[in-house]
Amino acid sequence: MSAAPVAAASALRKPLHWALLGLGAALALLLSVALGIAIGETALSPSLVLQVLANKLFGANYAIDPISQGIVWNYRLPRALVAASCGAGLAVAGVILQSMLRNALAEPYLLGISAGASTGAVLVSVVGIGAGAISMTVGAFFGALCAFALVALLAHAAGSGGLRNGGQIVLAGIAGSQLFNALTSLIITKSGSAEQARGIMFWLLGSLSGVRWPDTVLTACIAITGLLLCLLHTRALDAFTFGSESAAALGVPVRRVQLVLLLVAALMTAVMVSIVGAIGFVGLVIPHAARMLVGVRHRRLVPASAMMGAIFLIAADVLSRTLIRGQVLPIGVITALVGAPVFACILLRSQRRQR
Amino acid sequence: MLISVRRFVLPGLLATSLLTSLSASAAPYPMQLQNCGYTVSLKQPPASVVTIGQAGTEMLYALGLGDKVVGTSLWFNAVLPPFKAINDKVPRLADNDPSFESVIGKRPALVVSQFEWMVGKDGVVGTREQFHDLGIATYAMPSDCEGKNNLKGADGTRTSAYDVQALYKSITQLAQLFDVQPQGERLVKDLRERQAKAVAKVKAAQQPQLTAALWFSSADLAIDPYMAGKNGVAGYMLQTLGLRNIVDSSEEWPTVGWETIAKANPSILVIARMDRRRFPADDYQKKLDFLKTDPVTQHMDAVKNNRIVIVDADALQGSIRVVDGMEQISDAVLKLAQPAGR
Repeated sequence: MSAAPVAAASALRKPLHWALLGLGAALALLLSVALGIAIGETALSPSLVLQVLANKLFGANYAIDPISQGIVWNYRLPRALVAASCGAGLAVAGVILQSMLRNALAEPYLLGISAGASTGAVLVSVVGIGAGAISMTVGAFFGALCAFALVALLAHAAGSGGLRNGGQIVLAGIAGSQLFNALTSLIITKSGSAEQARGIMFWLLGSLSGVRWPDTVLTACIAITGLLLCLLHTRALDAFTFGSESAAALGVPVRRVQLVLLLVAALMTAVMVSIVGAIGFVGLVIPHAARMLVGVRHRRLVPASAMMGAIFLIAADVLSRTLIRGQVLPIGVITALVGAPVFACILLRSQRRQR
Repeated sequence: MLISVRRFVLPGLLATSLLTSLSASAAPYPMQLQNCGYTVSLKQPPASVVTIGQAGTEMLYALGLGDKVVGTSLWFNAVLPPFKAINDKVPRLADNDPSFESVIGKRPALVVSQFEWMVGKDGVVGTREQFHDLGIATYAMPSDCEGKNNLKGADGTRTSAYDVQALYKSITQLAQLFDVQPQGERLVKDLRERQAKAVAKVKAAQQPQLTAALWFSSADLAIDPYMAGKNGVAGYMLQTLGLRNIVDSSEEWPTVGWETIAKANPSILVIARMDRRRFPADDYQKKLDFLKTDPVTQHMDAVKNNRIVIVDADALQGSIRVVDGMEQISDAVLKLAQPAGR
């Protein structure tokens, strides 16, 4: 058989292929949310969960005790939705940073944004900056922005193109991370309370236990806005993969796009980290995994990363609640513990295929 | 006559004086006393003492030793009213843990620590060896080290349940170290009697199957709260009063999800009042606001029927206030037994 008919057939099949893939991903996301609601510290039967959802979404009138109803509707559903938004947001931020900086290692956690957020949160909680008027969340937000600004400035000052030089900013990010982690440790050590250190550690490694509906609205809005902005710039992101000079040659308004996309990545990370704490690994692993699945074109990579990030973080949250009975693990521990081996597997398998 | 005085009265007097000297020598100096795996050695009654932790501070005040205290630290609540005058004269080295040098700067003969992790193997303030090297004796409260592994779990893990005997032991031993045994006995007797009364009160209320949970604080308001484990001091208080703690962890202060607490729906919720402000939830008013406004906790029976007992945080440590806390909870149970609002 000649090659031409096969290529034609696969081209014909392609739209269907992508539609099926999208549908499958949407189903997987729905299933993850369902699992996120159904699994928790206390056992609630699936029928009860369904009844609560029917009551709340479709105005059904099942008699359910208000505590069970509250657990499903006010604790677990917002938690699953926030996990999805944060997973999507962090993954998309990873895609942006990896493309803009042309560095496979670029991700919010590594660039010091998460470390900055932690320092901000700790400053509010331990040192009492803001005197109760601002919350840990607000502190984390400003900490993240400060860290990103500092890392960007440092990379820029280091010369030879600043932001355009991916290697420089990753090095600056490592320095920034170390600096902010040291500051956080300093503050915690100075406060010297086991209880406080524990409270902060939980925060540093991420936790979704305090998440409620207002957080859901905020994180979902940020994630969707970030995703849309990113989707508007997929062509530019493709161009940036070959460097900003090539992007400029292709007619991309380099400065403007750089500013918009880096701001999007910084804001998304700052908001997500301020709500759920420092969750590493998502921004690094998910874009790579998504690339192996859908290729390097950002038109597919961006939505695929968002979807996979969402599913990954819901799954990580469910695992954090169930891995050790009677104890909730920080979600950052799970993303690293589960993410690293999974990433290694994907890496090895893709290597073998290439051979 | 004279002879008989010599023969009978004098020996009698001698014998009495011998007896008194014997009873005084129940605490002979140099004195050695076993404490949390260390030996406390004293050549004479300590002339000065620095306390790390409110529990030890107030215990020394209650033993009438306030004039010996040259520095205090680590406070959860305001000092008990009867001790305010004496406490005002004592410098507070730190609201939380003091530095090693600020403690030794007071040249104390003895350091009394409420928590082992302040002066233990990984002592935050300093290790006991560090103090001993400088000739400063150290005493850690048995409440925090006996039947407890402080190297495991965030605030230590109980290997066996707390018993108030550990509190009595610390009172007795401190009295012994300072050679004021009668004060120690009086204090222990008083605490024993008050506790027995509190327990009897709950029994008399005849409320079957009461459950309780105790919320200390939280790292952030809506986040999983620090609750009293089953084997800690607070767990002991609840259990001794005949209340079942819905939290089943051996950790001293485990974090437990609100989901679990709401689902267990305890009859009584105890919340801690403290003066420190590390976390928003340190403010008991904020705890109350959360309980009444959170979409899930507001449906808990204890919240709906206002069965929330506010107890000083220091009553939940191995302190003489344990009895205060038990009295407050027993009063709440008694109120529960009475028909509400009628």
